[in-house]
Amino acid sequence: MGWLLRSLAGPVLWAVLFSAVYALHGIGCAGGWQNRPFFWTDLQHAVLAGLWLTGIIAHLILVRYLPSGDGIKQFLIIAGTVIGLVSSAITLFPVVIISSCLSL
Amino acid sequence: MTDIPPNKAQRALHLHRELDKVWADLPGLRGFFTSVNHGTIGLRFMATAFVFFAIGGVLAMMIRAQLATRQGAFLSSELYNQIFTMHGSIMMFLFAIPLLEGLALWLLPKILGARDMAFPRLSALGYFCYLFGGTTIVLSLIFGVAPDGGWFMYVPLSDKTYTPGVNADVWLLGVTFVEISAMAAAVEITVTILRCRAAYMPLTKMPLMAWYLLGTAAMMLIGFPPLILGSILLELQRAFDWPFFDITRGGDPLLWQHLFWLFGHPEVYIIFLPAAGALSTIIPVLSRTKILGYGAIVAAILGLVFLSFGLWVHHMFTVGIPHMALAFFSAASALVAVPTAVQVFAWIGTMYEGRVQFRLPMLYIIGFFATFVLGGLTGVMLAMVPFNWQAHDTAFVTAHLHYVLVGGFVFPMLAAVTWWMPMISGRWRVAGLGESAFWLIFIGFHGTFFIMHLTGLLGMPRRIDAYPDNPEWEILNLVSSIFGMIQAAGFALFAFDMVMQWLFGRRSWRNPWRAPTLDWAMPLPAPSYNFASLPGPVHDNATAILPLAKGEGLLPGAPRGHRETLVVEPASGKPDHIAVLASNTALPVLTSLAIGSFFGLMLAGLYWLTPIGIVATLVMAWRWGTIMGVDYDPPWIEVAPLLTLPTHFSVTNTLAYTGCVALLVADGTVFASLLFGLGFLNVVAPNWPAPETGWATGMMGLMALAAFLVILAATFAGRKAATSRDPRVWTRVGFVCAVLGLILMAGLATGLDDPRRHAGDALRAVMLGYVAVHAIVVAMLALRSDRDARTGRVGPHRRGAIPAWQLFQRFLLFTATISLTVVVTQEVL
Repeated sequence: MGWLLRSLAGPVLWAVLFSAVYALHGIGCAGGWQNRPFFWTDLQHAVLAGLWLTGIIAHLILVRYLPSGDGIKQFLIIAGTVIGLVSSAITLFPVVIISSCLSL
Repeated sequence: MTDIPPNKAQRALHLHRELDKVWADLPGLRGFFTSVNHGTIGLRFMATAFVFFAIGGVLAMMIRAQLATRQGAFLSSELYNQIFTMHGSIMMFLFAIPLLEGLALWLLPKILGARDMAFPRLSALGYFCYLFGGTTIVLSLIFGVAPDGGWFMYVPLSDKTYTPGVNADVWLLGVTFVEISAMAAAVEITVTILRCRAAYMPLTKMPLMAWYLLGTAAMMLIGFPPLILGSILLELQRAFDWPFFDITRGGDPLLWQHLFWLFGHPEVYIIFLPAAGALSTIIPVLSRTKILGYGAIVAAILGLVFLSFGLWVHHMFTVGIPHMALAFFSAASALVAVPTAVQVFAWIGTMYEGRVQFRLPMLYIIGFFATFVLGGLTGVMLAMVPFNWQAHDTAFVTAHLHYVLVGGFVFPMLAAVTWWMPMISGRWRVAGLGESAFWLIFIGFHGTFFIMHLTGLLGMPRRIDAYPDNPEWEILNLVSSIFGMIQAAGFALFAFDMVMQWLFGRRSWRNPWRAPTLDWAMPLPAPSYNFASLPGPVHDNATAILPLAKGEGLLPGAPRGHRETLVVEPASGKPDHIAVLASNTALPVLTSLAIGSFFGLMLAGLYWLTPIGIVATLVMAWRWGTIMGVDYDPPWIEVAPLLTLPTHFSVTNTLAYTGCVALLVADGTVFASLLFGLGFLNVVAPNWPAPETGWATGMMGLMALAAFLVILAATFAGRKAATSRDPRVWTRVGFVCAVLGLILMAGLATGLDDPRRHAGDALRAVMLGYVAVHAIVVAMLALRSDRDARTGRVGPHRRGAIPAWQLFQRFLLFTATISLTVVVTQEVL
């Protein structure tokens, strides 16, 4: 079962990171973090981007060190870690480019 | 060691008679109420689902008749509301999910090389919950009290203020009752795929259908609990005025939307994955080649299963969510097209590599491609926020969802039915009818819904019953309605074709499609026991039909008079033990009636009588355990020469244990959803925090600490019981501690503020209730373990119910620690 758990590690990390960023986004907006300056940006963007980048680094570690075995098992582990990395990179990139708490 | 020598060949007819005597259903009406065989239950699920499909289809035709003209006078507004709500609810909850459950229950043991599903009684329980719950929902239409708030029951429309009758209660209670069958199926499917495969069939070599169904089951375990929780919360609000969704008292209607769509979007993929499994099974055979990219497809399933949980907010793009959150979900919604596309290209590549035979199932597959790809593309359009804002709640969305669901589920399932019908009926189809039905459905569908994209882009909203001021929509609607009738004629012809095949088709020869999978390694129609002897490394495909029938495989016949099947290790498929499965029993139907009595009393508003339903359910649950142990050490069973295995009575890592783990995953998701609700209301809802409370914080903390300590003591007792030679002392300690914990929590509950006062108070009461329900479960398991220990069911190798008790006890400790902390912390904050 070890290879299956390794295959799931990347997507699980994405799920955790996605949930954490979404939750922190809500908490930040409720707490007015977007109005608190933080270096060249605001606290809200800094916290979310920091968490996102930390997650991306964790994903890269999984991509580098998790694959093992051979054949289809190895393929699925690599696929799983890459799916996690790409998912986190694409679904959470808005933390660095979009206004945080404005809505309709 | 994967070289298992074959058993000695026997007379196939002798084996057949021996097995059929053990595995067959009882005759007549008794058989209907007592059968637990996966073949029977699976077919019943599918047949019942098609009956509900027909009802939902008639409702669709009534909708189309109403909309055919501007001032349709066919239905009153009130009735129209009920009909479109029932159409959506029936198609989603009473047709699509049960049909996939039925297919999985019927097919999985056959394609994996087993004799039955892991928990036959659970299959039957699920069926009766579905039948009774579904019938109640449909009957409400006849009595004029059907749900009328749309299939997603948005609040505040569905709360007591705007829906004072029982219409919404029918939906909430009926759907929750039906969902018991979905949860039962999810647990069953997971455990069967992981533990009931042919000997030495590793996960990496199992048929793609099994991968798809494993993904489906995992999604059901995680996807359904948010809706179950949402339904419970809304029913609590309607019945007892606990204000989870009432904005004036700290609630928020958006919480319902979140909980609903946390289920609702993965639901689309829950429906799609089994259908895709059928496609991956049928396409290579009818292309006379192997599937292209097995590993890539498995990886795509993995990606879909996870990503589909990150899309739900795209159903809520117009409710006023901040831009950044919109962007997260927009990106995820676009990204999910990638794993879907990987599968589509793998199927197209397979067809390109092989020689495609345009037989009837392949026609439906072509219909799938033409329809689903269009639906996927409009899905990507709707994933883009600016377009979504324009098209939201218009007929464009209706067209999109029908392209996805009919394209991604109905066409593949019709292909699947025509594919496996020879195995179900033992007969070959009547020529010509099926093709005519396909073309009527295909032309009728696209004529109805393609044009609806345009109707939507012209601004026609969903769910309106008349449009007197918009003559520009009339011709489009009329065309949709005419083609809708053509489509209905196609489905009627399909049903007629199936009946004709069953009654008058000529007998089918074995493996008529020349498929390689194990489901075709059996006589047609499939016998009650599937395989006279079980497949293994030597007999691992459809060509092994004769050796298996002659008993050369594993575990031949039924010489002990029990329903036996092989249990393997999850990853490698190495044989582990023999499971002795339940035989025909009325317990499932009686249990579903007991559960139904609770739902019925709730629906009738007789809340003070509902404890009767709860007690009846607990009594039935207790009886459930009576056949699950033995008071002697059963001898090991010779499965094949040189391979002898114990029965499940003498091992701890049983199917039941794996099933408990799967169930607790779903249970944990309910708890996580509850925490999500608490966090969401705390952060987003206005009118927080709750007003100051009256009870002393210190006293409450003390009570919570005492409750935690007794639960901890019970967990310790469970652990000691698991390893003790004579666990009777520990089982009693565990039981007493569980009861004491319940008493302390009851005391704690008296100190809480009135749950009607504020959503925060209501959530605290629900958290305490959640812990109390689990404390009752562990008390029962401790008592069952004690009974097992006293009646000799526990020995050096036999542990009775103790492993399950221990598992639930640990889960209780975990959730109680968090819940009690939250209850006290809210008091402090």
